Amino acid sequence: MRVEYINPFVESSVNVLKEVLGLQVRRENVSLKSKALPVLDIAVIVGLVGQVEGRVIFDLDRKTALNIASKMNDETLTEFDDLAKATITELGNMITGRAVTKLSELGYKFDVTPPAIFTGNNMEISDVNIEALIVPIETELGRVEVNVALREKA
Amino acid sequence: MGDEIPLGDKGDGTFYKVLIIDDSVFMIKQISQILQSQKFEVIGTAADGQEGIDKYKELHPKVDLVTLDITMPNVDGITCLEKIIEFDKNAKIVMMSALGKEDLVKKALLTGAKSYIVKPLDRDKILSRLKSVLSNTN
Repeated sequence: MRVEYINPFVESSVNVLKEVLGLQVRRENVSLKSKALPVLDIAVIVGLVGQVEGRVIFDLDRKTALNIASKMNDETLTEFDDLAKATITELGNMITGRAVTKLSELGYKFDVTPPAIFTGNNMEISDVNIEALIVPIETELGRVEVNVALREKA
Repeated sequence: MGDEIPLGDKGDGTFYKVLIIDDSVFMIKQISQILQSQKFEVIGTAADGQEGIDKYKELHPKVDLVTLDITMPNVDGITCLEKIIEFDKNAKIVMMSALGKEDLVKKALLTGAKSYIVKPLDRDKILSRLKSVLSNTN
């Protein structure tokens, strides 16, 4: 995966989380993985199509998701209900949207698909022949892992 | 905004009526709360572009203002914008999208959107843009 793709996702993840949460946010060391990945309880997936294709996954545990959704709604949510799901989904959409905007300024043309959210236990993501970049982000409300896998269209 | 007249007040004892088109219930809630705090009346919501077109036609000519998302299932926001403008060239539509790509912003404004706000949204961002949209078009 080309390095130019990576920074916009790292920056938008940190900046959008800071803006919507109004809290300190810290990026941990980025890593690359090429095997199937276990994911936490909640995964938001946004697809990318165009000159570059792939997907971005935002992965977090249930408690963190509830904390973040509560903060973004300015009310305490106790269940991971439709509103909480929509909130976390929109967070993924906003982060991806900003990264795609930046990449488009750099000359890469592509679009995003409406995000989807998956919830469950012991989920695993397998992408065939596509390397994923993992960007872990620590917030006061818990950890969010941003998992980016992109490749140029053959 | 203190004791000032709320932005949603038309000044004739009535309030601006808004249609919100967004596939996220979170966004609909957030936009509604911000608008209602300034006395705008949310008279309809739609969860995709097709529903948005249908609702606009159904509520016409009561809708004073539309907020329109872009990345939505079925019919996207740009197509929805084109269809609403085709139906009513005077529609006041404000795009609200997570995507701020220049070509998309240009396309929306050339098609007839009055403003383009990039998410994440906040109260000040929305209200200052709506203020300029409402003062430019009245």
